[in-house]
Amino acid sequence: MSEARAVRPLAWSSAAFAGGVLLHLDRLPLWASALALALVAWRLLRARAPARLLPIIVRALLALTLIAVVLLRFHTLNGLAAGSALLTVMAALKLLEVRAQRDLLVLVGAGVFLLLAACLDRQELARIPLYALQVWICGAALAVITSSSLSSGRALALSGRALLLAAPLAVLLFVFFPRLPGAFWALPRGEEATTGLSDTMSPGAITHLAASYDVAFRAHFDGPLPPPAERYWRGPVLHDFDGFTWRRRGEPPLSRHVPLAGGSLYRYRIALEPTQQRWWFALDTPVRVSDPKVWLSYDSQLVADAPVRQPVSFEAESYTQPRSSGALGVLERTEDTFLPRDRNPRSLELAQTLRRGATSDAEVVAAALEYLRRGGFEYSLDPQPLGADSVDDLLFGTHAGFCGHYASAFVTLMRGAGIPSRVVTGYLGGEWNSVGRYFEVRQADAHAWAEVWLPGRGWTRIDPTAVVAPERLQHGLIDLFPGALSAPVRLLHRHPWLAHLMQRWDAVNDWWGSHVVKFNYDVQLDVLARLGVRTPDAYALGWAFATALLGWLLLSAWRVGRELRPPRRDALAAAYVRLCRKLARVAPPRAPHQGPLSLADTVAEHRPDLADAVRELLGRYAQLRYGVPQPATRARDLQEFRRAVRNYRAAGESRAFRRRQRS
Amino acid sequence: MPGTWRRFLDARFRAWVLRRQGEDQLPLTLERRRIYILPTRVGVAFGVLLFLMLLAGLNYGNSLALFLTFLLAGFALVGMQLCHSNLLGAALLAARAPPVFAEAPGTLELTLGNLASQPRLQLEGAADAAAAAIDVPASAEQRLELPLAPRARGAWNLERVKLATAHPFGLFRAWTWVHTPLQLLVYPKPQGTLPMPAAPGRRPGKLAEGSSGADEWLTLRPFREGDSPRQVDWKAYAREAPLLVKEYAPPGSQLRIFEYERLSDPDLEARLSQLARWVVDAEARGEPYGLTLPGLRIAPDHGPEQRHRCLMALALFAPPGQARV
Repeated sequence: MSEARAVRPLAWSSAAFAGGVLLHLDRLPLWASALALALVAWRLLRARAPARLLPIIVRALLALTLIAVVLLRFHTLNGLAAGSALLTVMAALKLLEVRAQRDLLVLVGAGVFLLLAACLDRQELARIPLYALQVWICGAALAVITSSSLSSGRALALSGRALLLAAPLAVLLFVFFPRLPGAFWALPRGEEATTGLSDTMSPGAITHLAASYDVAFRAHFDGPLPPPAERYWRGPVLHDFDGFTWRRRGEPPLSRHVPLAGGSLYRYRIALEPTQQRWWFALDTPVRVSDPKVWLSYDSQLVADAPVRQPVSFEAESYTQPRSSGALGVLERTEDTFLPRDRNPRSLELAQTLRRGATSDAEVVAAALEYLRRGGFEYSLDPQPLGADSVDDLLFGTHAGFCGHYASAFVTLMRGAGIPSRVVTGYLGGEWNSVGRYFEVRQADAHAWAEVWLPGRGWTRIDPTAVVAPERLQHGLIDLFPGALSAPVRLLHRHPWLAHLMQRWDAVNDWWGSHVVKFNYDVQLDVLARLGVRTPDAYALGWAFATALLGWLLLSAWRVGRELRPPRRDALAAAYVRLCRKLARVAPPRAPHQGPLSLADTVAEHRPDLADAVRELLGRYAQLRYGVPQPATRARDLQEFRRAVRNYRAAGESRAFRRRQRS
Repeated sequence: MPGTWRRFLDARFRAWVLRRQGEDQLPLTLERRRIYILPTRVGVAFGVLLFLMLLAGLNYGNSLALFLTFLLAGFALVGMQLCHSNLLGAALLAARAPPVFAEAPGTLELTLGNLASQPRLQLEGAADAAAAAIDVPASAEQRLELPLAPRARGAWNLERVKLATAHPFGLFRAWTWVHTPLQLLVYPKPQGTLPMPAAPGRRPGKLAEGSSGADEWLTLRPFREGDSPRQVDWKAYAREAPLLVKEYAPPGSQLRIFEYERLSDPDLEARLSQLARWVVDAEARGEPYGLTLPGLRIAPDHGPEQRHRCLMALALFAPPGQARV
């Protein structure tokens, strides 16, 4: 028992620390988490042994070595990833010298800090239960460290209760604590893997296109929805081609100057998941965007000042069939008709042939599409690799490829025919989420198409893949190639109810992302305004904050105090006094020396009609007060006696009596 | 000199508390106005941690980090309220410090009561630099024993008892001071090698005249219910004296009178220690004994009361002309 007492605080603080490490398991270098968890296990196994410390010099050397290793790995100690790694290994070293209560508290503190780092790192809804569990464990660890006589169950109950009571305050403070509009210092972030589309495309190098089910962004439409054939979401636009790889131009030099008109205008809001890239996605040809941190380039891309590290949400307006009557700039025309002369000779030859057979650019486009339609090309996610002359290999060799292959080949043909053209990468389609009423666009919806400049029409979207595989336009990749998906996602697609459940979950996620994660100063002011504050500003926010804090303090103090408050007065005595007061209305008041039974006699003398009821009640009082204790039924008996006293109507009976007398 | 400052502030605060609360009578239920609460060191560290978390959350505009910070702040505040209510309404029913010999550690026995229907955990009592904690179950009493440091002979006033708790999370400590007249009596340390003085030839009653054994009686005392009629001094009763009972000494025992004046040691404490030694030994043997000190005579008797009477006289003794505080 006493041994368990001695071990319990160590076990709990180790759990708090290990929980923090586990939250970072996939972000920490393997050796760091392995070291931490191994030390935790080792310390717990030796928990009963007397604490023998390594010499101070050995510990100091160990610490310096580990700092050096972290430095070597991250090249900095500043930043989230490096900081977490450093905290993990240093707290793990602390396990080597745990002796006093203070050392245990340091471990719990490390657990809390690692949790904070995890919150800064990832805010997905799915991780919230893990974070909640970690807070709970840390609270219980504090309770066990404070009173080692506490059982683990009671510690968990205490911590859980305190957290539940604290939750309303947390919500209030979350809403009303004045936020900062910006950051006061920027911490460098570690290198993080980029997801989604990249700014180069080498279709020939890819032999297997894996479809990821991750959501790239969600689009909420305000007004009409674009038809399926128009759901092209623009990402990086690629201009430079070396015969094998398409690249984005280094820095888009110009903002767009070409005036646009035509088609219907769509208004929408996009909630973008982090990509670590600088471009944002928009429906086909955006003409306006709400966020000042992003600008519209000359090739209709949204380019932001900084990579997308946190989810962003913005509003935009787009055309899907833009018309431009202006002329193409010389520079643009030069760049977008450039081809390396020594690559893909057969394709260039084909392009010249197409050019010669047509009278206008539009006819060349039609002829090229016709070539692709008739040429026996097929759509495949597992194409053969292509050589340096990738377009020749596709058109005259393999005859199989996916969107990137056909966009690349088509633009090559166009440029070969002297028509300005470019490759656009992005997404096509998206699943309609009927729960949240928005489009979910997934990584699996990634697509590439072409844009050609036609005189009098401007940049016109041509999707060569639609010619090769028309069904791609109507269905997502997932429906066309279920084999490209992982087994769980396939399962999802076979069962509509599962898919519906997933949609529901995604809608909740979307709500979480746009209402909780992106909660900021502007939303705060908005909440104030909705609460009826006439001038919502930081000052009003401060008042709301103080009021919320005070109100919660009072409420929780009352709630907490209620349990340990001793019973104010004897409930039985109170009921007796009440009964005596009622009886005093119909009989002489109880004399100071009178006991309950004697009082009953007095009442009976004055009011024989009440004698039985009064005798019964006062008898019950005497039994409860002076009789043999009946612990099992006492609470119920007392309850019943109090109710009987409350309902007893001596005056009421006499009212009937009086009425009878009067009549 | 933070230590000096701390002591100074502490003393001022205690004086203020005593002026504010006055002397207390036991049993005492702790009410709101006498409970003080402050964050502990751990609590202050926790506050610093929360501040850092707040800065990080605000800096990155990270909602989750801010929510976590606010949740933990609420957690700490709930902890504060739980801590306060853990002490509020607890009762100090009794406080007792049994007499001890000089240079031996004493104990302070506190009886803590809990009227509420929930247990109160980790109630700490502290006095005299010693502290101990105990859990008091619902509607129950629990005795808490605090060790007291060894002291010199005399009567010591224990100025105050501190009741405190840091339950549940150790972030806050609520405490109160109880000022109750509480005296620790310290007997002289029984010490000395002189033989116990034999009967100085003065034996009370007929005892001196001869026969031995159980017939020898020591003193007369008033009749108490349950006394055997054979022990009643009927002759005295016949002389219209009150009903008296003869008390007999155990066989072979002797009546002893310990006299301060007969000891020659110049050191006062040594003499008192010797007297204490004799008192303890005589009591252990069950022999009747008396004590004379300058200005004080304690008639021969035995039993725990006699022992206490004698030892208390020794504890409080101050030679004539030397006032003891």
